[in-house]
Amino acid sequence: MYGKGLRPLSIATVVAFAVGFSLVFFYAPLEADQGFIQKIFYLHVPLAIVSLAGFITGGVFAVLHLRTDDRKWDAYSYVAIHISVIFAVGGLLTGSIWAKGSWGHWWVWNEPTLVSFLIVFLLYATYYPFRYAIEDRQRQARYASVFAITAGAFVPLNFLAVRESASLVHPRVFATAEGGLPGSMMLTFLCAIVSMALLWTTLVKFELSAKSAQGQLKRLRRALDAPSGPPSSRIAPEVH
Amino acid sequence: MFGLILAAAPAIPNDVGGKYVAGAYIVFVLLLLIYVGIMASKLQRIEKELREVAGVAEQRRAEEAEAASNPEVRA
Repeated sequence: MYGKGLRPLSIATVVAFAVGFSLVFFYAPLEADQGFIQKIFYLHVPLAIVSLAGFITGGVFAVLHLRTDDRKWDAYSYVAIHISVIFAVGGLLTGSIWAKGSWGHWWVWNEPTLVSFLIVFLLYATYYPFRYAIEDRQRQARYASVFAITAGAFVPLNFLAVRESASLVHPRVFATAEGGLPGSMMLTFLCAIVSMALLWTTLVKFELSAKSAQGQLKRLRRALDAPSGPPSSRIAPEVH
Repeated sequence: MFGLILAAAPAIPNDVGGKYVAGAYIVFVLLLLIYVGIMASKLQRIEKELREVAGVAEQRRAEEAEAASNPEVRA
């Protein structure tokens, strides 16, 4: 069920990345101030934006879980957060590489955008131990949903707070005092965002279909009364 | 085809910027590869378990068929 449409989605992702990366290296002009190193932004910013949007999406799925009490939404929320954490790691690493090349430091502690993103990342890093600390599956799913909603609400608030802060050391991609991105750069940037969003959706579907297969296998074992496989090291949500 | 793409590709500037851009894109690809590797091992485990369950099902069916063809054994 979850694997349905995975192949066309994967193909669309590959095509989008091919187009996106071609635009980055063949079409988008060199930025006058930063030069070639600005090309990192077409990777770093989409990774960060898609991960933050993914965290919010995880919160929305958690709301649906609490409203309907359907375990499917808990699995959706878990997987959305899981993939977003991976994207956030990518965003932090590529951002650090850019900072080293541009500022000469891997990390700058007095820059609100960086520190706030790190706080969001660390907040979601606690999702796993929080979740697996609860053994009862019903309670685990409910508490994890409450966490996902609270943390999901924190993400846009945090983003707005940082946006309003005085420091403009961290470059603004969409809007600056002088205007915004020129058309060619904006087109490339939008393609990069779409590719990253497609990749996120593909990985979420992929992970869900793997979890579904695992769930079906457990049901099959129970139906056959067959000896169960090696015990899982953690209690991840199941989807059927 | 790949040679043509490489020939047409702009050379990465051999200065500080080029090094960092290459590093960032390599990190992204590595992250993806690690994820795909972990998922591949998970799928391999599922496949192995599925084979075991299929084996149990086939064994049960064979036992049932044998019992049905030999009523004495069944009794």
